[in-house]
Amino acid sequence: MKCWKFILIAAFPLLFSCNKGMLTIEPENRTVPEGYYNSAQRIQQAVIGGYVDLRRALLANYAWVMYGEARAGDLNVVVPYQSMVVNQELTADNRYVSELSDWGYFYDVIRDANDILDIIAGADDEILNTYRRNLFRGEALALKSMAYFYLARIWGTIPSAEKNNFGKRLTGEEAVTLAAGWASEAKQLLPWLLLNDDGIESVALTAVRFNKTAITSLYAQEQLWLGKAQEAYSVLSNTFTAAMADSLSGFGLSNGTDRRTEIPQNPLNGNVVRMSLDRLNAIYPAGDARRSSMFSISANTATLIVRDATLLELLPRREINLLLAEAAWRSNSLDQAKAYLTMAAAGATEDYSALTDETFGAALLLERQRMLVGTGQRVFDLIRFGKVSTYIPEFTEDDVEKGAAYWPLSAVSMKGNSWSQNSFWARP
Amino acid sequence: MRLFPKPAGRALFFLLVSFGIAISLNAQDSLRVDSMILSNRAGLEHILQGNVAGLRVKSWSGTPGAQATLNLRGLSLDPTDQSTMPLILINGVPIIASPSHITGIDPLSYYSPDQIDRIEIMKDIDQLAAYGVQAPNGAINIIIKDGEPGSIHVRGSVSGGVNFLQNMDYRKDAFYNFNSFARREMYDNGGFVHEQNVLVDGAGTYGSYLFGLTNHSDQGIIKNTGFGRQSLFLNAKYNISDRFSAHFYNNLALANRNGRYAGEYDRNTPFPVIADETFFMDKNRDIGLLSSMGLAYQFSSALKLGTVAGLSYEGASRDVYVPSNMLDGEIYASSAAYKRQLLTLNTTLNYLHDFSDALKLDMTLGNEIRATDDRLTSVDGQRSMENGGSDFVKVVTGYNANQVNAFSDHEKENLLSFYGIWKWKYKNDLGVNMVLRADGSSLYQNKWALYPALGIHYDLKSTLEIPVKVKASFGRTGVLSRPEVYRGQLDAYGVYYGGNYLGIGQLYPAFGNAKSVSVTQVDAGLSFAVLPSVTLSVDYFNKTYRNFTYQRLLPNISGIGYEYETGGAIRLSGVELNLDAKWIQTSRFTWMSNLNISFYKNKIKELPGDIENTSLAWLGSLEEGAAVTSLVAYQGKQPKVIGNSESKGFGGFSNTFRYGNVSASMMFTYAWGADIITESFTSRYYADRVGNVFPVKSAETPYYLISTDTDKRTIYQGIRTVEDGSFIRLSRVALSWHLTSMFKKLGQLSDIEVFVRGDNLLTLSKYSGINPEENITGSRKYDLSHTGTPLPSSVALGFKLVF
Repeated sequence: MKCWKFILIAAFPLLFSCNKGMLTIEPENRTVPEGYYNSAQRIQQAVIGGYVDLRRALLANYAWVMYGEARAGDLNVVVPYQSMVVNQELTADNRYVSELSDWGYFYDVIRDANDILDIIAGADDEILNTYRRNLFRGEALALKSMAYFYLARIWGTIPSAEKNNFGKRLTGEEAVTLAAGWASEAKQLLPWLLLNDDGIESVALTAVRFNKTAITSLYAQEQLWLGKAQEAYSVLSNTFTAAMADSLSGFGLSNGTDRRTEIPQNPLNGNVVRMSLDRLNAIYPAGDARRSSMFSISANTATLIVRDATLLELLPRREINLLLAEAAWRSNSLDQAKAYLTMAAAGATEDYSALTDETFGAALLLERQRMLVGTGQRVFDLIRFGKVSTYIPEFTEDDVEKGAAYWPLSAVSMKGNSWSQNSFWARP
Repeated sequence: MRLFPKPAGRALFFLLVSFGIAISLNAQDSLRVDSMILSNRAGLEHILQGNVAGLRVKSWSGTPGAQATLNLRGLSLDPTDQSTMPLILINGVPIIASPSHITGIDPLSYYSPDQIDRIEIMKDIDQLAAYGVQAPNGAINIIIKDGEPGSIHVRGSVSGGVNFLQNMDYRKDAFYNFNSFARREMYDNGGFVHEQNVLVDGAGTYGSYLFGLTNHSDQGIIKNTGFGRQSLFLNAKYNISDRFSAHFYNNLALANRNGRYAGEYDRNTPFPVIADETFFMDKNRDIGLLSSMGLAYQFSSALKLGTVAGLSYEGASRDVYVPSNMLDGEIYASSAAYKRQLLTLNTTLNYLHDFSDALKLDMTLGNEIRATDDRLTSVDGQRSMENGGSDFVKVVTGYNANQVNAFSDHEKENLLSFYGIWKWKYKNDLGVNMVLRADGSSLYQNKWALYPALGIHYDLKSTLEIPVKVKASFGRTGVLSRPEVYRGQLDAYGVYYGGNYLGIGQLYPAFGNAKSVSVTQVDAGLSFAVLPSVTLSVDYFNKTYRNFTYQRLLPNISGIGYEYETGGAIRLSGVELNLDAKWIQTSRFTWMSNLNISFYKNKIKELPGDIENTSLAWLGSLEEGAAVTSLVAYQGKQPKVIGNSESKGFGGFSNTFRYGNVSASMMFTYAWGADIITESFTSRYYADRVGNVFPVKSAETPYYLISTDTDKRTIYQGIRTVEDGSFIRLSRVALSWHLTSMFKKLGQLSDIEVFVRGDNLLTLSKYSGINPEENITGSRKYDLSHTGTPLPSSVALGFKLVF
């Protein structure tokens, strides 16, 4: 036996251990961040993750309608905590009300969006072509813009979750200004119609992802919230030209299975979300054609007719003329405003041609209440129109001044970030 | 040269026949009398219990095949046993030693004590540092016997006995008042325990061999839950040439254990129990294999090169079927398989050098590769019962896919190490051990960690002429953190657009700074030969664990729940006393004793800031200096320390008497100073239903725990008792009689021995439950998680033959 034979045997493990890959193991059955986003399809998964988090933010505990029509009393949600919400008992010791006052899901969307922007920045052209790069970046910016916009409208003053000023206190105006900036950038990037995986324009896909129509509507909403009606009017009228009429699309959340089982897959289910007949009669007078086109009416209640059960509309096409009407009215173009309102309110019994500057606001607010029911915008409209105490009798104007229109913060949301309850809800 | 000399045929015949007889008789046993008192229970840890100062072996469960917890100077922020388990080696090869979560069968039960020559315990840092992150909590090296000189020896042993519960008070049973109907039928005195071993060995110029097979069966005291193990093993050393030798060791074991519903399952089980357990099935099956191959080449008297490859493998599977008559019309079935493998490759170059007659060096340079690969697959399902066919098969094989869940998991880790050991010797009085090890782990971004150690040993006998040896050592090692820490995780949130698109996002980010827990250890010891036959040793150690990795809970504006960070420090220190004495040693009578007592104390040295927002929040009510193992409960609205789950001291006391051919041995084990809290099975309330006030009844103690249910409702869990867990136990007794002289005429029969062996024969304790060690965490939970079944006593009679 030659010793060199043995040395070879013994040296084998040493050679093996010098293998560079020895200390690098690729997990086989786990998705880990490092190296995962190596294709357009996978980057799109991250984008879809943002939509799923937005869906959680708005659908968990029927939040979108609790922040809107349910809180204002227009819609009833058949859950035990509805009564607390409509009675403005928003600091009640109830798990679900507490979860509604938790802003966590919206910040999850913001985190997703910022992660997507980082992923796109690190992806080379072989992975993302120009169309996908613009689309994904536009969607990320739009998701972030929408999340901040919701946060500012629901809670008023909010913390920033941006890397450069994480935790900084943003007034509602500052937050919406930032949101409008991202929306403006997204508007340049997003297409009118999205392409499906086969490269064909898809109306169905466009309806559940951000597109140019949706981001323009969102931008206009944000500008109107900031009181910049002229800017909103300019953008709306320059974007929604007659030539683009066939390319318009609404935007909604696609319903689907969520890993968190508490997210409803049929959020506007008539067994859960409904309107009392009294409220229906108060909002839609007899003769209004929309009573039958929008509602199934029974002896005591009315339920919304859902034309496409696969999605929950947030920025419907029918809002465009309402936005144009509001932007024109607030830009002192009453005639155009009336024309847009008349177009928007097809089926109404009222004649809006006789409206004045003083009466236009109330008519527009009513039409928004009628036409946007189920989209969760009612309380936001009341805030923007300064009518909270008028329609929510639990609050005085003084209460509203102190922040009653905004939601209180849950203990979870205040934990770990030195945040305190807003002044109205901090009352004993 | 012949590996199988002439008598091999005779040996094989004897082996097969005796094994067949042993199994068919289901009784008798014959055990080799060792220096340690053997146990009727499977699991090598049982024979270690009480024998080693500092080694705490807690017999927490009476379930046969369950592993007693082992702790050898170990401390962790994780109170479960595995986190502080010492490294277990066989012939220096690391093995998978902790039970799988699937079957819970003890891998240390795969080895019969009959094949073991000695067990080495390593506690000091100058011994442990060479093992790096593998051995932060001590190491136990089990050395297998070599064949003895001669062409062939045959050793057969058989033993058999019974388990029984002494004075069983069912009100002390943790499952008291739970499924009473089935429980009445569950415990059963007289469960049979038996073992058969056949070993064949020999040695010559060619090397040595030892092979054999064993069978162990223990029915315990819970009906139909018996544990069984069969093993085949071979330990062979072969001198290929004068310089080149090879060493092979193989042990293949099959182990099985059945579970039982009432008495072994979570008391808080979601399944309603409405009848007995006639059709309940819980079958656990393990395959354990250890195979190692060592090659050594002696270049010269001073230089030697060696390499040892080891493969430790365990395949564990479990099949459960809960019939509909227990589930009120629903059947449940699950099947799980967990395959673990540990591959090691250790290459060493050893060099001896004499600088002078006085100064000598023994140097070893080594390289070690360690690769673990664990794979889990499981499937379970539940559905309403239908007539016909096998419901179990239907559920497990996916009779209806919507009712079946499948899961798979795969975990791999590689460890690459380089180490050097320099042992200096000066005049046989002074020894200096220097160790340096570099560990690289696939788990961490910053792969490498360096662990140095220095030890000094001095024998004062020749210089000061006093029989005293002193030692001191100092060094570092580390503890690997869990794998999920370092890599981050993406999570599937849900589907979108008609289910066509999957949405994923970040659950938590990768922790780039992940590293092992740092352990700094100081040891000092003194050994004093009070008399030539009486030695007293005192050891002190102090271990400080730093840089634990824990979760920092983030404000929810972060968009993720937490990120990891490192920090915190805890300390474990202790004094270990050991007295070895041969009080009387004559040709007719011998009396030997060992007494060991260990005094341990642990404390928190440093906690992360804002601890309430970390995964260590449960330590939040403790101040620095308090015991890590403190038991905390609420009184009024304030948290309060109401006890300590760890003993202040523990140890063992053994005596062996030998008169002529008769010997008697007994081992007492004891511990004191540990507290046990027992959660009440009745004082459990929703806080809002009792006005957020506790206690509710005058009979309740003022102590309670707070938790939330799945609906996030706050629950107050009352503490029924806070008790002293001190005990002293007659753990093992053995009485043996060598009858060789009576059978001299039987030619080649060289030894015959009859023995009686008893386990757990007497326990003195004030604890209100059955076994003061039955709660792993020192707290008997409401659901009985981490609480064992009653520990039985057992007595067995056996005999051993040596040809």
